[in-house]
Order: sequence, then structure tokens, then C-alpha cells
Amino acid sequence: MMDFDKLFVTRDWFGKPVRRNEDVKFVKGEATYVDDIDMNCAHVAFLRSIFAHARLKKIDTSRAEALKGVLAVITGPEVAEVTKPLPARAITRPARQYVMATGKVRYQGEPIAAVVAEDRYIAEDALELIDVEYEPLQPVMRIEDALKPDAPLLFEEAGSNTLLDDTMEHGDYEKACREADMVLKETFRVHRYSSTPLENWAIIARHDKGTDSFTVWANDQQPGRSMTTVCGTLQIPTHNLRLIVPESGGGFGIKLAIWPYIVILCLLSRKVDKPIKWIQTRREHLLGGTHAPDGIVEIEMPVKKDGTFLGLSVKDYQNDGSFIHTAGIYGLIKFATMVGQYTIKATRMEVLSIATNKGPTVQNRGVGKPTMTFALERMVDIAAKKLGIDPAEIRFRNFVKPEQMPYTTPSGEIYESGDYPECLRKGLALGEYDQCKKQQAELRKQGRYIGVGISTGVEPGTSNLGYYYTSSGVPEYMGSGEGAIVGVDYDGNINVMIGSVDTGQGHATVIGQVISDMLGITPDRVRVDNTLDSFISPYIGHSGCYSNKFNDVDLGAVIKATEKVRARIFTLAAHMLKADVSNLKLGDGHVHVTNDSGKKVSFKDIAALAYKKITLLPEGMEPGLKEIAYYRNPYAKLPNKQNFNVQLTHSNSCHVVTVEVDIETGFVKFLKYVIIHDCGNQINPAIVEGMAIGSTVHGLGATFLEEFVYDDNGQLLTTTFMDYLKPVAATVPHFEMGHHYSPCPTSLLGSKSAGEGGAIGSLAAVANAVEDALSPFDVKVTSLPLTPEKVVKAIKETKVI
Amino acid sequence: MQVKVKINGKEYQDDVEPRMLLVHFIREKARLTGTHIGCDTGNCGACTVLFNGRTIKSCLMLAVQANGAEIMTIEGLSTNGLHPIQDAFLEKFGFQCGYCTSGMILSAYVLLQSNPQPTDHEIREALEGNLCMCTGYQQIVESISYAATKMKEAGK
Repeated sequence: MMDFDKLFVTRDWFGKPVRRNEDVKFVKGEATYVDDIDMNCAHVAFLRSIFAHARLKKIDTSRAEALKGVLAVITGPEVAEVTKPLPARAITRPARQYVMATGKVRYQGEPIAAVVAEDRYIAEDALELIDVEYEPLQPVMRIEDALKPDAPLLFEEAGSNTLLDDTMEHGDYEKACREADMVLKETFRVHRYSSTPLENWAIIARHDKGTDSFTVWANDQQPGRSMTTVCGTLQIPTHNLRLIVPESGGGFGIKLAIWPYIVILCLLSRKVDKPIKWIQTRREHLLGGTHAPDGIVEIEMPVKKDGTFLGLSVKDYQNDGSFIHTAGIYGLIKFATMVGQYTIKATRMEVLSIATNKGPTVQNRGVGKPTMTFALERMVDIAAKKLGIDPAEIRFRNFVKPEQMPYTTPSGEIYESGDYPECLRKGLALGEYDQCKKQQAELRKQGRYIGVGISTGVEPGTSNLGYYYTSSGVPEYMGSGEGAIVGVDYDGNINVMIGSVDTGQGHATVIGQVISDMLGITPDRVRVDNTLDSFISPYIGHSGCYSNKFNDVDLGAVIKATEKVRARIFTLAAHMLKADVSNLKLGDGHVHVTNDSGKKVSFKDIAALAYKKITLLPEGMEPGLKEIAYYRNPYAKLPNKQNFNVQLTHSNSCHVVTVEVDIETGFVKFLKYVIIHDCGNQINPAIVEGMAIGSTVHGLGATFLEEFVYDDNGQLLTTTFMDYLKPVAATVPHFEMGHHYSPCPTSLLGSKSAGEGGAIGSLAAVANAVEDALSPFDVKVTSLPLTPEKVVKAIKETKVI
Repeated sequence: MQVKVKINGKEYQDDVEPRMLLVHFIREKARLTGTHIGCDTGNCGACTVLFNGRTIKSCLMLAVQANGAEIMTIEGLSTNGLHPIQDAFLEKFGFQCGYCTSGMILSAYVLLQSNPQPTDHEIREALEGNLCMCTGYQQIVESISYAATKMKEAGK
């Protein structure tokens, strides 16, 4: 963390809920998302597999091509001929797959062919005219079925549906079991869901015949990596792709997997003389664009009678569906913070990535941590009940203490800062834990069932890429970083570009706050262009909006570039004012001479020297007043299975929830929902609050409503928002927020991740509250979602949800 | 088929296919792209517009059904500066990615016309047809409540 007295000239903006005035366009309907770009495009529609698992015997596109208004058609086999197969990041078994189905289809909705036509209506008509001959195969949907010795194989070349099976062991787990008074065992199941950004995937591609190059506009969340994956797949040099990312209507990880469609659009654009556009429909999005995997978590926890957790063993089965690019990632991320906030000394984790005929999976908000936290925090409550210790007390007994910070977990993850006991104390106070417990006893006498649930969770950020290679070899990407360009323009105002993109986090406002305090100006003088343009923007392989890296490396790059600009401003001002740099200071958009009141020069005049009156520049100084800087988090360890930090910052939160369960209907009502969040220094508290609450509602959707339901034939039954239910304003509680501030010593601003916490902690908190409410009925919660039907059935018959 | 529609006070006339959705007419013929498409099935409310003064989902109506109608989109809410509801969404951080915002603001606009001082509960009920995937709704509710107060103070 930097010395703020040296970093900042003023403290007027940092840490304040500054209005997002840069984003007035959003409230006026004037933002430009991909679909809003007017380029007289032709339109693309995809023919998608009607089967979950089938061989493709024949595709005949001749009738479609003959339709008036159809400009071109492309099929999977044609795509496969000119592209490389998908690169697999985490799996270790060989599996060959292309961006479009060829030979066989592996999920309902997998693209088989694409049509480009004068408009979308004609393109959709043409899909009806493509004749496909399928040979249906037995679909494999559930993990248990995929693991059977005679199970049909998704990828014959892999020889198994288990594409990754890796075990990581740290500390002496066997010893922990020997020393334990008991070893608790449980199996948890978490279903498939997604954060479903409101704007679906959107791409425009334009081919330039003269150079055989492409310009693509896409709402891609990770353009730095997409540049190399798209170009690698197309087998073109990266300078032949110009990728532009304009406004994006939400991401949550789900827009990290757009790149296969960019490849297809590029190939199609070669066939026509105008730009082409594909706007994903919601049905397409829900079918395969994309999901968080469903999974089974088998947990063992050796504990002492006094409640001490001695070890943790997890066997994690991940139903990764049929997208080998990101298969296996979830388990490895779960592993990173599997001990949660506890001083568990010995861990073992077996990570299995299972291929099935469900849709593709990609990093959804929290990436595995919601499932891991659900399983761990449920286990903690189960231990508390078994040992007769209060759920809050057992957590206090096992927490990493603030004096132990920075704390290194058995596998090498470093928790830089945090006060877990204090956060829980605040949570219990604000959540009126003791009063709720008292009330619970009284209400039960009246036949009302309320329950209180606690969950504490670690919210890591800034992925140290390469973690998946701790399982599979040499990393292509390591660490985390970002780039930024900061310049003073003609008028003395500040222009900024960064390599990252914004999916709704108010990056422009936050960057404006930091730069304003660094240069002694007001945010209205800072203009940030969030558009990424790979020909102009300072992007690197890590560039993008994911893993909560903005507050750390993105702002790190902005700070470093601003420091360079500031140094140049001082040099030029010293020349103009004929003063020594050490006697200068910034304020009100001017450089002042400290010991000569009234002597000053404005940024505008400095800019005039730098850009216009360049003959007057000091000897040897280059014109211009714009600087580029790249920044990486310096604490990333090298990939090493025995000692590695998968994430580079660690926020934490605690949720304390009181619910009432209607035992007749199974409906769960919130009586109180408290979130205590510690993400270190908050740069814009109102933005942080929005993300903490928003991510919590993602978790509540997953806990109660959202589920991708497949039938035995592999048909997805939830393909609209009428079946795949999302939370609405009337069904979510009012959240009471509390904060704690443990500055992060390893980020420049003392800030930590803020975008995923609620999605991580909420599932467990609610599940614990529901189980507590139903304790008179001995109901145990081991799975999600907690639908009314399941709740009622558990009360009356099964005793297990 | 010929369609004549007044959008934000301006008349648009075009020859469209009978199957063209109203939302496509608004976005592609009138080029008013503040109206968004999020679900295609009338659930998300990103395409909310005012149709003869009432909110509708413009993805559930054909352009030809709108013949002769008066429509207001987000672009028509305030031609001069910000409407108090728009200002409130900025002041209270009632948006993140902005994709649902046009629909949210128009639903709030209609609510505040019939119920100028709604309770939080009434605001939440009124947003039943608008999904926001980012905010968890709390700051949206606060924005609308704040707008109601400001509009009352201003006597609007």
C-alpha cells in the first residue's frame, strides 16, 4: 500500500460516494452497446442441435442458401477445416472440440451451422431450411451416470468422461484424523445456475478484403486473452484482428466465453461484403451461453470435542458439461480458499472435472467459491450441532485471528489482512442474533418457525493466472496485471484509457476520483474512455473485467501512468516558472511555486507548451504529455503445486440472516438480512455497496429460484425467464450493510475485491437459517435450490433437502 | 404493411413486415436504441416503453399493432437536461451496467404519476416486470423514493 501523503495532493474524492456523472448516458438511454452500433449490418442466426448427444451424419444447406436474402451459410465441418481445436486450460486428458459442432453434437443448443442474411428474420427463416441428419446417442447428464464404466463417452479420445482428476494435499491430513475426536462426513450438491447478464452476447464482425483482417465489436469480458485465443484458433497474426469492446450490459463472468462465436463471425464475415451482426437471444443464452457447473462435494472434517477443526478433505465432482476450454477451473479455484476463514492446518482436495451432455460452463460470479463456501459453512453448522456448540462460537474458536495476518494457508494462499472475529461480532450485533434466537423459541410455541443463519466467507480477487497449470504443465499466462494511458489534453483536462473493460462497475468514476486526488483537480476534468480497442488501448494478456482485479492492478496501472504524467507536468512547470521542482506543488489544476505566492502555471498552459509551442521545450525533451504504464501485482508466486497463491487479494464478509419458513407452503420469508463486508479501503463506498448487495441477490436467486433443469434426454426445460426464474424487487429483502476496513497491504490503494462477496456467502447463510428454522423437524440441508416443494417434502417425508 | 407511429412526439412511418416486433421498429426504424432487448419473452422489462401513456413490453407487440399509437421511450422523458427520476438514479446509484435502466426509469415514471409518494413496498411491487441483474434492486428503490421526494418538493 502506498503512502497516501505522497500519492495524493488532495483527499476530496478518494473514499467518497462520488456520483457516476460520467455515466449519464445510461439514465438517458444514450449508451452504445454492441447492438446499438449502426453499421447497416447483415444478421447472423445459428442452427443449434436439437439433441444433447448425437452423431452428425449429414448437413445440407442448399435450400437455405437458395432463400432470397441469404448471403452466406457456414457449417461446423467447414469451420473445423480452417480452425484449430479449442485450447483446454485445466483438463489433463486429451479432448478435441471445435468452436462449432463437427462429427457429433454434445449438448442441446450446440451450434451446427450459421446463416447470414439481410435481416435477422430472414436468417431465422433460413435455419428452417437446413437439413440435418442426426444419429442420436445416449445422453449422459448426471455425474453419477458419466462415471459408470460403461457410460457413453463425450470425447472418445479421452477414454473417460473424467477429464481432470487431480489431488492436492497440504499438511498432514492423516495425522489430523488420528488426533481428532471425530471425523464428520457429508455430501453436498449444488445445482446449475448462472448470473445471466441482462444484455446477451453481441458481436459485429467486419472483414477487410485488402488486408484479410478483421474488426470485431463484442461485449467480451476478457479481451486480452480473447485476442490470442481468437487469432490462435483462426491461425492469423494478432495484428489482423482489431477487437473493440464498447459498453457492456453486465458480465459476471458469463461474457468470458464469447470468443468461440467471434471466431465463427470472423469466418462468416469473409464470405460477405458488409459487416455482420449476431445478437444472442435469451433462449440461446440459457441453452449454452453459459452456466456455472452443477457439482457434488464430498467433505470430511476431523474435529476435536472443543470444536477445533483439525483438517479438511474434499472430493469435488464438477459437472463441466461440454466446453473443454474452461473445464476443471472451478474445482481448482475452490481449492485455493477451501479453508475459508479458519486455521485449518491440513487439507486434501481431489478435483474432478466431468464431461456430460449439459451446456458449456464458464466462470460465473464467484467461480466455485459459492459452492465451496456453501459446503464448508454448512459443515461448520453441522459440527456445531453435533458438538453442542453455538454456531457463532464454533466460528470464533476457529477463525484466523487478526494478529495472525498476513496468514498463509496450507497451500500457500496469503490472506493479507482482515479481522474475521470483529466482522462476525458486528454481524451478530446488527443482525440481533441473540434476540432472534430468543424470539425463535417463543414463536415456535405459536407454530411459527424462524431460523438464524451465519455464513462467513473469503472473497478472493486478482487471479494469479496459471493456477490451473499447477495441475497440467507449463503456464501460458501467469500473475495479474493491467495497462493504462493517462494524458493531459490541449485544454489541460485528463484523458484516460485502460486495457480493462467495464461491465457496470463505474470504472470511469473511480478512476476519476483517484486521478483527481493525485493531480489536485475535480473529476469533471477527467474523461475515461472505457472502450477497449486492441489497436489503441494498453491491453495485456490479462486485460479484462474479472476476478475483482480492477481495484488492484487496473488502478495500479492508472496510478503508475498518472505518476509519470505528474512528473512530466512538474518538469515542464519548473521550466516555465523558472523554479526548482522541489519547490512546486499541485492545486486547482495549476502548478504553484510554494515559496512565491501567486506564481503559478495552469495545466492548459503546460499543455500548450507540450503540444503546440514545442520549440520552447527544454533541450532534449520530447513533445506531448501522455504516458503509458503497466502494472502487475508483485506478490504473485510462480506456479508450484506445493506452494501457490491462486488469488492476490482477500476480502471477507459475514452474512447473518433471519428467515421464517411457512411449513405448509415451504415458502421462505426474510425477516432480517445483514451483510458485514471488509474489502479494505473503499474508493467509492456507494459502488461497493451496490456490488455487495447485487452479488448477494445473485446468491439468493441461486438459493431459491434459479436452476437449469434437464430431462433425461438432455433437453433443457428452463429456456426462458418464465422457467428460469430470477429474483424481482418484491421478493428480495432490504439489506442492512455494515463495514469493516482492513486495508490491503499488497495493493497500492489498500483496496481488495468487492464484486463477488455476496454471491459467495449468501447460499450458506440462507441454507443455515432454513435448517435452523426447521430444526424441530430434524431437516438437514445438503442441497440447493431450496424450492418450496423440496422444503415441504423434507418436512413431511425425507428430512433432507 | 404501412405503420404510422408517433414516438416522443415525432411521427415515424414505414412499410414493415407484419411480423416485425415493435421493439425492432423502435430500435431499427426509428433508431431509438435506448430501448433494449433482454429476454424476448416479456419477462425482463428492458424493452419497456409507454404506449398511449401505459407501460408495455415492446418485444411482445407487433409494430403494426402500434399503428396510430403514441409511444414514449426513454429518449422522450426529458429533452432538456435530466428528469428528476434520471437525476435520482445517478444520485442514489440506481444502476450499474445500465441495460435495465431505461425500463426501470419508465416504470418508475408511470408509478409516480399514479402514486406520487409510494412506500418502498409499493415501489418494489411496481418493478415486478423489470429485472435488474446487477444491483439487487435496493439502490433502485432508493432512487425512486428519492425522486418522489424531490418531485414533491419541486411540485412536479
